Amino acid sequence: MVETHFPELDATVPPPPRRGILSTASLYKLAIYIILIVAAFIAMVPFGYVVSTSLKSTMSLFAYPPDWLPDEPTLDNYRNLIDRYPFWRWLMNSAIVAGSVTLIKLVVDSMAGYAFAKMRFPGKEPLFLLVLISLMVPFAALLIPTFIIVRELGLLNTYWGLILPGLASPIGIFMMRQFIESLPSDLENAARLDGCSEFQIYRRVILPLIKPGLVVLGVFTFMTQWTSYLWPLVAATKPQMATLTVGARSLTSDFTQDWGLNSAAAVLSMLPMILVFIFLQRYFIAGSIAGALKE
Amino acid sequence: MAQVEFIQVGKSYGETGAVHNVNLTVDDSEFLVLLGPSGCGKSTLLKMVAGLEDVTAGEIRIDGRVVNYVKPGDRNVAMVFQNYALYPHMTVQENIGFPLKMTKVPKDQIRERVTRTAAILGLDGLLDRRPEQLSGGQRQRVALARSIIREPAVFLMDEPLSNLDAQLRVQTREELLKLHERLQTTTIYVTHDQIEAMTMGHRIVVMRSGVVQQVGRPQDVYDNPANTFVAAFLGSPRINLQTGKLDGATFGGDGFVVPLNSKLAGAASAVTAGSDVALGVRPEDIEVRVGAVEASGDKIALDGVVSLVEPVGSDLYVRAQTGNVDWMARTEARLPVEPGQAVTLVLNLEHAHLFGEDGRNLAS
Ligand SMILES: Nc1ncnc2c1ncn2[C@@H]1O[C@H](COP(=O)(O)OP(=O)(O)O)[C@@H](O)[C@H]1O
Ligand SMILES: [Mg+2]
Repeated sequence: MVETHFPELDATVPPPPRRGILSTASLYKLAIYIILIVAAFIAMVPFGYVVSTSLKSTMSLFAYPPDWLPDEPTLDNYRNLIDRYPFWRWLMNSAIVAGSVTLIKLVVDSMAGYAFAKMRFPGKEPLFLLVLISLMVPFAALLIPTFIIVRELGLLNTYWGLILPGLASPIGIFMMRQFIESLPSDLENAARLDGCSEFQIYRRVILPLIKPGLVVLGVFTFMTQWTSYLWPLVAATKPQMATLTVGARSLTSDFTQDWGLNSAAAVLSMLPMILVFIFLQRYFIAGSIAGALKE
Repeated sequence: MAQVEFIQVGKSYGETGAVHNVNLTVDDSEFLVLLGPSGCGKSTLLKMVAGLEDVTAGEIRIDGRVVNYVKPGDRNVAMVFQNYALYPHMTVQENIGFPLKMTKVPKDQIRERVTRTAAILGLDGLLDRRPEQLSGGQRQRVALARSIIREPAVFLMDEPLSNLDAQLRVQTREELLKLHERLQTTTIYVTHDQIEAMTMGHRIVVMRSGVVQQVGRPQDVYDNPANTFVAAFLGSPRINLQTGKLDGATFGGDGFVVPLNSKLAGAASAVTAGSDVALGVRPEDIEVRVGAVEASGDKIALDGVVSLVEPVGSDLYVRAQTGNVDWMARTEARLPVEPGQAVTLVLNLEHAHLFGEDGRNLAS
């Protein structure tokens, strides 16, 4: 065998220049950090207050001036919430609905986005226009028609009744299309010649390359569903189908307002979101930066 | 090994045509180059062979089989793309092995063939890198490796060298030819670079606006261009094309007269006296002399004044004016001439051409 050999002409990259510790650049950075820390602190105050409230006994709630760190922190509110209300059930309902909507949306939206971005088919332009138009209709305007449809389908108080309407938001399709459109078409062409079917191109080439976009869409969808209130309120009237938001609201009766209990519910329902963010932060930040995909 | 036939192949995007009536046979083991300016339909033609674009007219056959409606993956062709189209999320190893994986070759066989192919292209140490960690030349080799691993019947290459720097381009050109020598795979190679076309092609196909202008061995096409477009596209500096009228056995240009040699006179007999024609003389067929020179045989002497001198090291490009026209001459590097100087241009008509009003070479 004759070995062919291609010498390469790699240029070596010089190391970045070192800077003095107190150069103008680092002073500027310091100022930015201080501003950001102050802003972060301000943003955290209400959150901290909710956490603190959830740890207070009912008596100490109305102390003035408010004490930020309760003298005798107590888990009574949490115990109360879990013992007297179907809190775990609500949490599970929320997880099932938000999780299913997120997963199904990722699949459907990325597929639709691929079709709109890369495939040629009759009616593509008008169809996409339709998607865009539906983007402009506020959900409140759709609430009653959606309710009637879901009721007629007999899906009130079912998981599908909670999940299906959540799938119909077109923003994900739009976003995926933008992501996929930025991928060079020769990638699909190469895959086609390498023997991929259309689905394999989607699965093995497109999907891995839009991972940051999928994460962003996933987090947004999950967050929207986790905090959605209006639709679960009308679609799930039975207590055992209530989601966290609806359940938490039911803690407040017409006569009493237990702030400690409410705060405990708020803290517990925030936890999953925080976890999601922490785990996906890396992708999330990468994906939010536009053009991160360009080769 | 395969033969590729184009039979009245055409491509249109809606109303506008990109490729018109291409009739061509690429022989088994041939290295055929499609040459033409950007936008002339080279890539479109290539993509039709690959199955990435529909054929809107005519037939393409690979080894006698009409492939118009065969899926790209089933045509047994491989393509190297201009910007390589490596899968960014896969390692070099996975990139090269991908076509095998998609055709369900067993894993251990894939590994073995990847190793072997990588060795051929000198990619041994890079198998675990990702495309972003490679230099341009290395990416190019990975793209090549991915296309040869399947041992396809036909290679399609779309300007594969255009993203490399000049030095690497020359090296890779040679390597590609060696690779072709060794694999003997029928290759259709697209480029807009005439040097690449001349040096690499067994035959070249010159295209313009979707129409094939000429097909032939590089030197034949260079020596006998079918029309003014081909004449002007091949050769640097460009061929001198002077318009004028035929008057018996002389060509009357704008402020100068050239008596035709027997070859040109023969070509001129194809048109009526007094027709508009163009005389084409390549810069290397013009000698610049200081002082008077006698015309003899194929050589014609014209008085001129130098207007521009461009040294390129190995040669000297001299532009000189005769009558109302400019001639570009390619002369020996150290000729002592300077702008403003009166010189004699000696036109060697042995390889000169006369083109008719429609641009066609009158000799053909
Ligand atoms: N998808 C397309 N839609 C419409 N016109 C196209 C499309 N692709 C290429 N063309 C046109 O076809 C012609 C040939 O293009 P191409 O084959 O890419 O040229 P080349 O590769 O020789 O530079 C060009 O005029 C180009 O504008
Ligand atoms: Mg092209």
